[in-house]
Amino acid sequence: MLTIDELVEFCGATAVVVPDPGVEVTGCYTSDLLSDVMANAPEDCVLVTVQNHRNTVAVATLVGALVIMVCHDREIPEEMITAASNEGVAILKTPLNQYHTSARIYRAFGS
Amino acid sequence: MTFAEVVAAIGGKMVVLTETADRKVRHVVGSDLMSDVLLVDEDDMMLLTSLASDQVLRTAQIVGATGVVIVNDKPVPDSMADVARELGLSLATSNLSKYEGCVAVYKALNGITT
Amino acid sequence: MEERPFAEKVPRSADLNEQPLVILELIQRLKVRDVMTTELLVAARHTTLREVQDIMKQIKISGVPVAENGRLYGLISIDDIIRALEGGYIDEPCQKHMSTKLVVLEDDMPLSFAISYFDRYRYGRFPVLDRNQRLVGIICQRDINRTLLVELTHELRRMEELTGGSSAPQDDYAGLYFFREFPVSKFDFENAGKAATTIKQLLQERSFPARLIRRVAVAAYELEMNMCVHSLGGVLTCQVSNGEVEIVARDTGPGIADVEWACRDGSSTANDWIRSLGFGAGLGLPNVKRVADHFEIRSQEGEGTRVRAVLVLASENKPKEESQGSGGG
Repeated sequence: MLTIDELVEFCGATAVVVPDPGVEVTGCYTSDLLSDVMANAPEDCVLVTVQNHRNTVAVATLVGALVIMVCHDREIPEEMITAASNEGVAILKTPLNQYHTSARIYRAFGS
Repeated sequence: MTFAEVVAAIGGKMVVLTETADRKVRHVVGSDLMSDVLLVDEDDMMLLTSLASDQVLRTAQIVGATGVVIVNDKPVPDSMADVARELGLSLATSNLSKYEGCVAVYKALNGITT
Repeated sequence: MEERPFAEKVPRSADLNEQPLVILELIQRLKVRDVMTTELLVAARHTTLREVQDIMKQIKISGVPVAENGRLYGLISIDDIIRALEGGYIDEPCQKHMSTKLVVLEDDMPLSFAISYFDRYRYGRFPVLDRNQRLVGIICQRDINRTLLVELTHELRRMEELTGGSSAPQDDYAGLYFFREFPVSKFDFENAGKAATTIKQLLQERSFPARLIRRVAVAAYELEMNMCVHSLGGVLTCQVSNGEVEIVARDTGPGIADVEWACRDGSSTANDWIRSLGFGAGLGLPNVKRVADHFEIRSQEGEGTRVRAVLVLASENKPKEESQGSGGG
């Protein structure tokens, strides 16, 4: 179980939208293909992606992902922020790439 | 660790083995977005992706990758293997998800055995 | 694709005689569409020959295409008008007297093609059609002369800049020249990326610095994929001359409504299908900008887009001050 604060700390991330600071993720899924996320992402996970797009929020909501971690510090467009607030999905962003972010989250789970 | 060694360490299956597999992996990218892969400035990169298409190989070749691992147990189309041979680029598959794949590569490269 | 001989690594020299033949390169590089007149005055089939004569007088041209809604039906030349005056049928519609056996050019053809046509057919002008067989312009020898003069002056200035006592270090590549052209088709994902791969190989064969090759390949690949995903199709060219690599992507449409927006990181018009292929994350043009020393884009909605990226060989020797992520505008 990882809290938003732990994700922020381990990935050197910035919190962009946090509708519920109390959520805890139980898994991680790394993908930039929304169809893949839709098909394979586990519930209550943190989604690691570079897709800074409103549709990412929609897909996260569908599969029950709680947090979207956007890599490469890509700018989060206003409409994505609005969608996340409405859907209750948190958005964090990190300067790391998907590989390093995944490795950090793995270490966070182990700690 | 060379690309071939990493593939073996994460339990992947080599589909096309070329001389790039003998190169040391110094950088890992786990992306499904080709433009994102092209942002990589480092040489000797290995790519983990859940996308199985010719474009993945062409993109990897442009940035001089050591090899590509297709994750999620995705079947590799014959045409893709042909393109890999044509480009002289090693190609492997893995039944891990991309997250698991990244973690496995991380553990392999850092000598973590648990 | 035009196969052309390479002038391989000509030793650097201040003597302009040793430069590649600029004119040959120009007439290969320029396309009919770069030269033709696009402001067309056309006659309809029912227009009378007298009205056509008036058009000719007004704008001092000696040939008027007969076309309706972009479809070309014929051409009226000054000779047709003279014959009409002599024969007394100047008030008849041009449909009856126009030449219908037309030799036409396509806008995509290299200028060298047009020149050979003027030589072969001895006509004063040729109508120009696009790939959908629609009339898009007309070309006469005057257009060619004018464009070549402008381009030659421009080229001369560049050569002077390179040879004229600048203290910039000259490298072995400064005398190298080659030019290649690759067609890119819409949604042809099977072949997309081949142009960039070929360009990479060509530069590798000539032992260009690895980092430059990578930057050129990235720019070429993004532009190639852009045309494949977003445009109706186009042409990617790679030209190496004067110590520069120039990649130009020119497509036939549909054009970009907001160019500034399109160059910003994350801006995308791609649909989910394109995203599912690993493209369309709005990183393409910012990526090209990132690797290029000069970047230029020209586009208009409803027309084509032209993107030019220049990578300077000498810039490879300098440390790269801007590391990453400068991308957006």
